[in-house]
Amino acid sequence: MIRLKSSALCRYYRRGNYEIRALDKVDLQIEKGEFLAVVGASGSGKSTLLNLLAGLDTPTSGQIEFDGARLDGLSRRELAAYRGHKVGMIFQTFNLLPYLTALRNVELALYFNQTPARLRREKARMILEKMGLSDRLEHRPADLSGGEQQRVAIARALVKTPEVLFADEPTGNLDKDNARAVAEILSELNRGGLTIVMVTHDSDLARNLAHRIIHMHYGQIVRDNPQASTGEGTP
Amino acid sequence: MTLKDMVDISAGNLWRMKLRTFLTVSGVLIAIAAFVAMLSFGAGNQKYITEEYNRLGLFNTMQVYTRQKTDDSSTAAPLNREAVERLARIPGVRLAYPFDAFSVKAAIGDTMFSSRAQVLPLTAAGTKLYADFAQGRGFESDSAREVILSREFALELAEKFGDSLLGQKFIITTTVPSLDSALAGLLTEERRAFWDRLKNVRFDSLVNADYRRSLLRREANELFRNFADGYFGHQAVLTDTLTVVGILDRHSMGRALAEPLLVSEKTARELNAGGFGTDPADIVAALQQGAFFYPDDYAAGKNYSRVTLDIDPYMTHDKVKDSVEAMGFRTFSFAEQFAEMKRFFLYFNLGLGIIGFIALLTASLGIANTMIMAIIERRREIGILKSLGADEREIKILFLAESGVIGLMGAVLGIIFGWAISRVVSLAVKIFMEKQGVEPFELFSLPLWLILTALFFGVMVSLLAGYYPASRAARVNPVEALRSE
Repeated sequence: MIRLKSSALCRYYRRGNYEIRALDKVDLQIEKGEFLAVVGASGSGKSTLLNLLAGLDTPTSGQIEFDGARLDGLSRRELAAYRGHKVGMIFQTFNLLPYLTALRNVELALYFNQTPARLRREKARMILEKMGLSDRLEHRPADLSGGEQQRVAIARALVKTPEVLFADEPTGNLDKDNARAVAEILSELNRGGLTIVMVTHDSDLARNLAHRIIHMHYGQIVRDNPQASTGEGTP
Repeated sequence: MTLKDMVDISAGNLWRMKLRTFLTVSGVLIAIAAFVAMLSFGAGNQKYITEEYNRLGLFNTMQVYTRQKTDDSSTAAPLNREAVERLARIPGVRLAYPFDAFSVKAAIGDTMFSSRAQVLPLTAAGTKLYADFAQGRGFESDSAREVILSREFALELAEKFGDSLLGQKFIITTTVPSLDSALAGLLTEERRAFWDRLKNVRFDSLVNADYRRSLLRREANELFRNFADGYFGHQAVLTDTLTVVGILDRHSMGRALAEPLLVSEKTARELNAGGFGTDPADIVAALQQGAFFYPDDYAAGKNYSRVTLDIDPYMTHDKVKDSVEAMGFRTFSFAEQFAEMKRFFLYFNLGLGIIGFIALLTASLGIANTMIMAIIERRREIGILKSLGADEREIKILFLAESGVIGLMGAVLGIIFGWAISRVVSLAVKIFMEKQGVEPFELFSLPLWLILTALFFGVMVSLLAGYYPASRAARVNPVEALRSE
């Protein structure tokens, strides 16, 4: 079953007299439960593709479908609802709010998807405990290690039970051990049925985790390699 | 996201930026405090005047005056006893009584001073104007040999005689010239002087108009001189000793001014027996009113400068006014005066409000600046919130809530601060009033409408100031925001 599909997806930027083609006529299908890795050099358009699929950006032309429903025609408000309910995102720089505790950071994701206030705290606590952070609930990001921060970010993305998880260089800022731990978490989530789209520079990580790897170059998919993941979750 | 969530997040954000929030809130606080202090001054004065009008029953009081000869009507109706009786019969008029005052010399012990006395009929003593006493009571009868003091006069005397004025004996003296002796003066001119002047008349020149005029002027002057010699040269001194029985419990106000001494009708009649005083003002008034020679009956031929009407509170003032004016008199209505004053207070409050509002607008620039700075600093945070599913409306409301919370805090603290300022100024003014011998009254008032208006303006102006920055925040591109440092 196709979870996400893009057809002739384009994203152009204008810089003065120049037009930058960040993404150019990308056709892509992502199956439900698939772990897709998007690799490529800097500026190849991987993050642009991820932002478009996650509903953070809107295409210049082309179509995106989520479970058969078009995303490209949605209003900004409907796109926000899509981000709030259907997808979760994790970033290389974690993007946690520095002044909130781990618990409050995770809870924040539930503010925008109509979760009743009385359930928010409990859900956030449970997911953080699952991530092995039960003793870090009241810590602020500055008091957490990089790996712990990324685990909080993953908890924040998962707390709203998304159908797709978008990960933008999730291990880019982590040391080897923490990167391995995060990779294991992602692998386990995928084994649990979660569709994951991961952008990475790290070919090994992609090879070890993903069912399929697409290579991007100058805004286009130049190679699409289905592969049998090792499933080990180790980079 | 509930309203509580938004306020929680906003309050948390403001708390993180304590110093900036404090400075921004201070701007609103000062503006609202100025707004509240100034308007509470207007409200306080309005409240004081309204209460005084109510207390004195001025809303039910109308003054009636004779029309000036220069008015459109050449036939100014006299304001005499008959007119007072007719005025009392107008539907809606509960009571009509004249203002009758004369000059006296009063003495307590060996202290003598010139003053004015006013006749207070027993019927008028029942009206609110004269019903309340700071000390003592009213007259027991229209023939009581008693005197009531106005509040101002009592305060003046208290400096000399202390507060125990009740029971003091006042010796009231009037000097009443005799019209009989004045007329006698005309007749008793020495014959020789008259014959001497007659001898000097040039009868052959009487055909000359200028000569005739000069002759008439000379004789008229002689007549008036003889009349004045007789009038002022044979004055009767009338004295009565009256006991102070009451001190009015009010300050006189405008046209409801009471004379320093209030005496009964009988006392007034006795002190005015045979004529009026030697006060030039009385003489001029009597001449103007055509009442220089009035009969022996004290009240019958007397013309009054004004008559006070006590009107049924359920009666329309305009109807009474029309009836009075149809009788050929002028009117002065305290209710109309109050309406004018209300209009004045409206403009006054509006003026003060505009000054306060300008201060608030200045503070709003501070809010706008704070919010714009916040958006620049929190671009990444906006991106994160959007990636979590916040839509533009929610981002806008989040930032609007922050400016609203600034406005609310500034308004609440400003109201408290403004109230505190008004208390301090009020205390200082009261001390000053007391030192100046004026009975202190409350200058400031903080009615509910003022509190609500200040809250409304504080929050509304802050929201308006925050609207543009909030809209900018809502439009932030999440992709760019997430990339920003």
